Amino acid sequence: MRRIGFLVNPVAGMGGSVGLKGTDGNVDEARRRGALPRAQDRAAIAIRRLTAVPDLFFVTCSGEMGGSVLRACGETRYWVAYQYPGTSTAEDTKKAVSAFLQEGVDLILFCGGDGTARDVFEAAQQTVPILGIPAGVKMYSAVFALDPAAAAVLISEPYGLQDAEVMDVDEEEYRHGVLNTHLFGIARIPARAHMTQVAKQVFEEADENRAKEEIARFLNEVMLPGVLYIIGAGTTTEAISRQLGIKKTLLGVDAVRDGCLVASDTDEKTLLDLVSRYPETKIIISPIGAQGFILGRGNQQISASVVRNVGLHNLIVAATPHKLRETPFLYVDSGEPALDHEFGESIQVISGYRIAQRKKISRSL
Amino acid sequence: MQTKILLDEEQIPKKWYNIQADLPSPLDPPLHPATHKPIGPDDLSAIFPMELIRQEVTTDRHVDIPEEVRDVLRLWRPSPLYRAHRLEKFLKTPAKIYYKWEGVSPAGSHKTNTSIPQAYYNMKAGIERISTETGAGQWGSALAFATMLYDLECTIYMVRSSYTQKPYRKSMMHVWGAECIPSPSTKTNSGRAVLEKDPETPGALGIAISEAVEDAATHANTNYALGSVLNHVCLHQTVIGLECREQLAMVDDYPDVVIGCVGGGSNFAGISFPFAGDKLTGKHKDIDIIGAEPASCPSLTKGLYTYDFGDVAGLTPLMKMFTLGHDFVPPAMHAGGLRYHGDSPIVSRLVHDGVMRAVAYHQSEVFEAAQTFARTEGIIVAPETSHAVKAAIDEALACKKTGEDKTILFNCSGHGNFDMTAYDAFYSGELVDYEYPDELIKQAIGRIPKIS
Repeated sequence: MRRIGFLVNPVAGMGGSVGLKGTDGNVDEARRRGALPRAQDRAAIAIRRLTAVPDLFFVTCSGEMGGSVLRACGETRYWVAYQYPGTSTAEDTKKAVSAFLQEGVDLILFCGGDGTARDVFEAAQQTVPILGIPAGVKMYSAVFALDPAAAAVLISEPYGLQDAEVMDVDEEEYRHGVLNTHLFGIARIPARAHMTQVAKQVFEEADENRAKEEIARFLNEVMLPGVLYIIGAGTTTEAISRQLGIKKTLLGVDAVRDGCLVASDTDEKTLLDLVSRYPETKIIISPIGAQGFILGRGNQQISASVVRNVGLHNLIVAATPHKLRETPFLYVDSGEPALDHEFGESIQVISGYRIAQRKKISRSL
Repeated sequence: MQTKILLDEEQIPKKWYNIQADLPSPLDPPLHPATHKPIGPDDLSAIFPMELIRQEVTTDRHVDIPEEVRDVLRLWRPSPLYRAHRLEKFLKTPAKIYYKWEGVSPAGSHKTNTSIPQAYYNMKAGIERISTETGAGQWGSALAFATMLYDLECTIYMVRSSYTQKPYRKSMMHVWGAECIPSPSTKTNSGRAVLEKDPETPGALGIAISEAVEDAATHANTNYALGSVLNHVCLHQTVIGLECREQLAMVDDYPDVVIGCVGGGSNFAGISFPFAGDKLTGKHKDIDIIGAEPASCPSLTKGLYTYDFGDVAGLTPLMKMFTLGHDFVPPAMHAGGLRYHGDSPIVSRLVHDGVMRAVAYHQSEVFEAAQTFARTEGIIVAPETSHAVKAAIDEALACKKTGEDKTILFNCSGHGNFDMTAYDAFYSGELVDYEYPDELIKQAIGRIPKIS
């Protein structure tokens, strides 16, 4: 019997339809503008599919935060571990997740948006895999299934696990037209089994780790003495640093030179300062988030000015084949459209030992 | 409007053309893997029959094709030369496009042109069994067919990724009585060493060669056969170009551009060497000879011209060639027959000297070209061959721009009837455009482990 922690953020997505770009701290305003809750409907699509799956048991919250959705779908295999007080806040999400963990759940299935993902991850960290049913206004985190039905398919079949970035978006700034995202954490999510084109191989976690090691082995081989390397956030770039024997900040941007850490968890200003001091600099980054952004999400310290000063030809992009398969296009949003344009139609992405892929770049989602 | 240009059976060439006779200076000799001294015939006699060793080093301009071999070649040779009227019309090009169709052989590709003589000379030398490697399975099935004709046993190490991807190639080998083993295998030291380091490896031609060579070297009754790269293999393939020259003469034509796809280089050598000979001897100085290779394994366009091993384990002699390094395992793309780190030493030398040139293509663009070809000329080509098709189309489109009416000849080396999974991947948008990160490698070249 697999125990699934299930929670719904009842107000997720309400801001979107009424132009609020996010519902955090804005529920009343959203309601006043006539927004209707939609998270429960989205969650129900997934749950209806799961009622037919044997060996599942749900641990959930009362009412709109879970229980009423399960009941409405005719699902009886559940019990309530957290009492919903009637108005959902970030604190409720975190408390519910803690309650699920105490119940020993195998996976947490939640319905919401980026804000919900951040709260779920904050409480769960990597103790159990999480998976999002998308219902929010913004979906920059990579922890969401493609749609509610896909979420159900994912957990009804045997799965491996993979890394997925949880993004933090400053909603207040976002409402004023400024997209400020940073990498909040790396969660573990169920990985869809892939039929690779080579043979009927199924994607396994081991493949993903092996690919990271291969990328790291290659990049270490071609890293030059005397050159400063600015290394972006994420687990792929972390693997590269690990091979160098350097402990890198997982969520931040670091700088290394000749196998030594020069600066850790830098901001844009520090990077610009470093670039002016070191004549030869290169940047190593991995696409981040659900859509596969090279610049502009999660690596925002590496700003357009940093890239300009380093030179576009000194930008090295690396990603595992699995990540590249999930993202048919890569995206660039450096904040400077002229620079984005200079990327051209496609980019080389290092994907293995002396192996790269040519990936198309798109500029609009 | 003649479409097929056909020769009579009696016009199967009686001699192979040896381009070594027309090189301005001799080839750099292969070196012994241990001593790094030039190898002699004795070093090779453990795995090759003496006649093939002689053909490997001879500088005679012509080598007689035994009548017994010509008799077998009659099963499909002379192969037809086609004028691609429908493709020309579709492209709206003033160029004339001809293609030599080698897919008419029993195994479906040019590979039988050399598997027959190789099996024949081994049979003559009293050998009972032949071991070999195969990438996409074209060579393996061609050798299985040839060894069956001469009552030899045949053991084939097939690159693992292709073994699972193309089960019907394996079935063909079984029909012709050969044993087919996925490589790396646990049957050889080289295979076990690779598996120990990397149990999930997709395999590579270089690894399979190590296994087959080891098998031959450790069994007295067994010799080794290679389907490409070596001089005698290129020699046997020259029947393709020799026939083309005759066929074009029948319609009063001669190529301005000659094209072949390149993995180890033998089908490219086969169609181009007779014409390269014309270029070297000054008869046709301006002919443009183009090898088309995959961007993921671009030895001629991005490799180094240096001595390197022919296999991963370093069992073969060191050969002077364009190489990406014998330890390079190319990504598992669909043109499995082109997944080779090096190239024929003669082709390499000719590219290095500027007699020939090379271009590299991504997977999706060659499949697009193959689709165009299938929808105009009808033939569904092998993924390897699609590289040559792409180069021919590019040349024809260039003619459209300049208004030149060049004569373009390409080798349509094999059919793709067992490659439908590759075409399916193309249609479902799953083809990955692998490429070789040569810029990064070039910048760090001094830090990369030395090749030899």
